[in-house]
Amino acid sequence: MVNGNKLTIGIADMKMAKGEGVLVTYALGSCIGICLHDPVLKLGALVHIMLPVNMEAGRKNPLKYADTGIRETLHQMELKGAVRTRITAKIAGGAKMFEDNGGSMGNIGQRNIESVRMVLRREKIRLLKEDVGGGVARTLLFDVNSGLGCVRCYGRQELII
Amino acid sequence: MEIKNYDELTSLELDTLREIGSIGTGNAATALSQLLGREVRITLPEVRIMGYNEAIEWIGGPEEITAGVLVKLSGQMSGIMLSVQQIEFVNLVLESMLQKQITDYAQLAELENSALIEVGNIMISTFINALSGLANIDVNLTVPAFTVDMQGAILTVPMAEYGGQSDYIMTIGGNFVCNEHEVPCRLLLSPDIRSLNFLLRKLGVNDG
Repeated sequence: MVNGNKLTIGIADMKMAKGEGVLVTYALGSCIGICLHDPVLKLGALVHIMLPVNMEAGRKNPLKYADTGIRETLHQMELKGAVRTRITAKIAGGAKMFEDNGGSMGNIGQRNIESVRMVLRREKIRLLKEDVGGGVARTLLFDVNSGLGCVRCYGRQELII
Repeated sequence: MEIKNYDELTSLELDTLREIGSIGTGNAATALSQLLGREVRITLPEVRIMGYNEAIEWIGGPEEITAGVLVKLSGQMSGIMLSVQQIEFVNLVLESMLQKQITDYAQLAELENSALIEVGNIMISTFINALSGLANIDVNLTVPAFTVDMQGAILTVPMAEYGGQSDYIMTIGGNFVCNEHEVPCRLLLSPDIRSLNFLLRKLGVNDG
């Protein structure tokens, strides 16, 4: 599925491509990669969030959080001409990397999943596909031309979403 | 002065943390040496304050598969301590303890995992014992958790845990030298900001 330019998205980061190109973000653990796509424009964005809710006073880094990250990305897409009612989403990540006996680690991955789903619902974005939860790290590739996502894991077959 | 973010640490405070790192990893190396029955030394300990993506590059790229042992600290100090075990280190342990070598993490079975968890846990406990003795603080440790997966995702565990406090991650740790070559055993301590202030105050370099 790798056609055209490949753009890498870091943690608390977002990139867009239009027409063709592949957006990739590596090693999502409890973090979530959210692919947003306007199929008419073939405009795609991938945002890599780390935490569920932005409660920072200064809000220097909106892309670190599910709520502000998704809204900021939607805003950037609309500036490029995307139409809200056409935008769809696919997500991957939200794993629990370490299984602990005492439960002292909390479950940031699960909270991220719930927050992402809720924010998408509030923003009226349809969530088409997801590969979330479990205990494995995921690398997510997103082809902006076809709108297809590909999830790569250690010890598991590639999954098309 | 109380710091609010890792990048506000003064050079005196960083030197103090480097010293803690040196004593902690030194003790961990001694413990490792006894376990493996061979000499293990440490290279210069590092205290690093890195942006998220910088930290992932530093450890050797996001997708590289490694074994990770994680212990959580609580009590007078909270934080996460990780032993990130790349394949050279895994083989060093398996060769000494089980007379075995692997070429791929998929070859790890129950027994090998137990050995790696035990080694990681002993190094982490030794490090923390040295630290708590030095600063005279009580630290409780959880039972070690273990995974084999992409190291980028393993490293995001401490990042996400303290991500609401900071855009940076602080790590204290070092590499080991065994049989005259460097074995990249990453022993990483990521304290939260409140505990870092407490620790520095206890050590007398932060009078806030």
